[in-house]
Amino acid sequence: MPATFHIPGPLREFTGGRASVPIAQSPPNLAEALSALWKLYPGLRDRIVTEQGQVREHVNIFIGDEDVRYTGGLTSRVSAESNISIVPAISGG
Amino acid sequence: MIGQVLGHCRVQAKIGEGGMGIVYRAFDEVLQRDVAVKVVKKDARLGSSGSQNLLQEARASSSLSHPNICTIHDVGETEGELYIVMELVEGKSLHEMCRDIGLPPETVIRCGVQIAGALVRAHDRGIIHRDLKTSNIVVTSDGLVKVLDFGLAKQVGDRDASFEGPTRSFETMQTSSTFSGTLAYMCPEVLRGEAADYRSDLWALGIVLYEAASGHRPFDGRTGFELSSAIMREMPKPLGPPVPPGLWAIIQRCLSKEPVQRYQRAGEVLAALEAIQGATVFAAATSAERSEPQTLVLHSVRHARVRRGDYLLLVGTTKGAFILRSNINRSRWEVGGPYFHGHAVYALAYDDRAGQHRLWASTQSFWGTTLRSSEDFGRIWTNPQEATIRFPADTGLSLKNIWQISLGRPDEPDVLYCGVEPAALFESHDAGETWSFVRGLFDHPHRPRWVPGNGGLALHTIVLDPADKHCMYVAISSGGVYRTNDGGRTWSAKNRGIRAMFMVGKYPEFGQCVHKIVMHPARPERLFLQNHWGLYRSDDSGENWKDIANGVPSDFGFAMVAHPRNPACVYIVPVESDQFRCSCDGRLRVYRTRNGGASWEPLARGLPQKQAYETVLRDAMTMDSLDPAGIYFGTRSGQLFGSRDEGRTWNKILEGLPAIVCVRSAFIEDGFGHSIAAPRIAPQAPSPSRKSRTPSHSRRKKR
Repeated sequence: MPATFHIPGPLREFTGGRASVPIAQSPPNLAEALSALWKLYPGLRDRIVTEQGQVREHVNIFIGDEDVRYTGGLTSRVSAESNISIVPAISGG
Repeated sequence: MIGQVLGHCRVQAKIGEGGMGIVYRAFDEVLQRDVAVKVVKKDARLGSSGSQNLLQEARASSSLSHPNICTIHDVGETEGELYIVMELVEGKSLHEMCRDIGLPPETVIRCGVQIAGALVRAHDRGIIHRDLKTSNIVVTSDGLVKVLDFGLAKQVGDRDASFEGPTRSFETMQTSSTFSGTLAYMCPEVLRGEAADYRSDLWALGIVLYEAASGHRPFDGRTGFELSSAIMREMPKPLGPPVPPGLWAIIQRCLSKEPVQRYQRAGEVLAALEAIQGATVFAAATSAERSEPQTLVLHSVRHARVRRGDYLLLVGTTKGAFILRSNINRSRWEVGGPYFHGHAVYALAYDDRAGQHRLWASTQSFWGTTLRSSEDFGRIWTNPQEATIRFPADTGLSLKNIWQISLGRPDEPDVLYCGVEPAALFESHDAGETWSFVRGLFDHPHRPRWVPGNGGLALHTIVLDPADKHCMYVAISSGGVYRTNDGGRTWSAKNRGIRAMFMVGKYPEFGQCVHKIVMHPARPERLFLQNHWGLYRSDDSGENWKDIANGVPSDFGFAMVAHPRNPACVYIVPVESDQFRCSCDGRLRVYRTRNGGASWEPLARGLPQKQAYETVLRDAMTMDSLDPAGIYFGTRSGQLFGSRDEGRTWNKILEGLPAIVCVRSAFIEDGFGHSIAAPRIAPQAPSPSRKSRTPSHSRRKKR
């Protein structure tokens, strides 16, 4: 089982409508998993991270049920079966 | 029957059979067209008076002419055979199409709009369908919906007291032993023995929509008694994703048990369906994901039909953009949008240089800030895979917002500028394909000491000197005014005489919170400035600023625009104070000077003068270069006002928008590649003469 990204609705225009994107390689951490995701769907990168490579303030990434902000951010470990969810934070007004 | 002639129609083949009769394909030998002929079953329930009534009803229904109603051409009786000649509709019934699994929401809504449209026409003519059901609705191969058997149910139904229903479709109901046909569409009040009215059709429409969306009817029963009990007492099982909440709400209201709680007119259902039509569904669940809770948002976008010679207002709000279209008289407006749902649109521009017609917009959301363009007035917007405006890695900064999109000079049609937050300037020399960071301004020694104002640290205003290609100004909040005379390589602060009330030294070299600067193109050495406290004019290219707050209720404000022809004329909208950023005394008034700031006059006719605590933000006002000039502004409360006579009188154009942060105007030239002339509008003349009064109309557009 490859690691799988789960893509929120507003970003699916950059994945050809796909809600989940499996990553064929076995990336050791989130940064490399994201790099693999950008290679498949380049339009996702600038929506999820800033030009300085930081995850945007109101975008949350979970590996399984864990928010990566509390597990080491982009260095968080990713396993072959990880479900990586990109979720917009509670925001707006 | 095959080969027989009924009226002037030769019967060719049987194509269906139902409770009401047999349907044949036939050929109208007089009018030379294919038709359908329904031969009504000889039935004991239909006595001679019943036959006459049916004929009468069919004749009444034949008056209905509507693209979604199957037209009845003729009715007649030959040798005791009652027949109805109607339009031959070839397609699938909605019942067949949605069986078991339902149709995609967009299809349901598209069909629903057409069915409701047919009901509107029939009800307007006093005709109730009485037997609307999915098997009476045919969808042709190109998606056109046709409702069959209008009004034919009445006479049969009146004589039929059983629950088997007035008619049965010629496609499905074959036996009278099942109750799955018409009874399932019957409304509670008819089951109680009350007369059917328009609202009975709206109940049936609710059942049709429910069935089309889910593949199942909302009420079920093994016997007629069980089914009618369910109709009268049970609530329909809610429809979740992929049925959008808007559609479910419409179905629910159609299925209110009490007629008074339903929509009262078919037109109301039509309007409700149209409101959710043309919609984009996002976050829609795919079948594999239905186990998870899903958010489903359905939003519709209307497009203004822009033609050459039209006049546009581009309105950016904190939740999307709108395009308002009018003709040169600017009295009636068609509203397009919202574009970029949920994104803040702080900057808009229309670029008509070199014969192009391109809209620019900046969109900001938690997915970042993107510069986007459209060459068809908003139908299609670019959404670049990679953000085109980005801070270089060594700055350590990332883009928060684009506050200003400015066109280069008319003779440099590939040049564009963007002012951004955090405060910086970007430029493009290839019509926006690529952007470069103006390093000269970023490297200014003052830059580390610029501080954010209430709206962030933004470079929000860019002003080009039309006479000197190397000269331009920017305004930064809070940093002040900076000018370059070498095309952006070096910059110097130009703030002498401008106050900074929030600092200890009130007249610092830089650090002022400048809200807006404007220049008259015919007199580029003269600039006007709306400050965070203070109104100023400079007559020496920003070297010195003179206070001109003579007779305004407050010198605090944001928006400022310059008159297209009179270099001494500027408009502002004062607000009370930095603590209370609302129009003074609850009276919304624009102020104008026509003498360079020596005095100001209020312009309030047509603007609210009671309890109007409004704010007009820095880019939410614009002026066109028509003669007389039009002036337009939007408020933070979402109201849009306009004046066609240079501010003498005002009209409210629109209300109820999200907070308006940007307003721009555009006149869509009807020639090809010519520079836009400013038409002079004769007061009574509907069509303007096109006198070229302003040499650089397109410069006004970029304000």
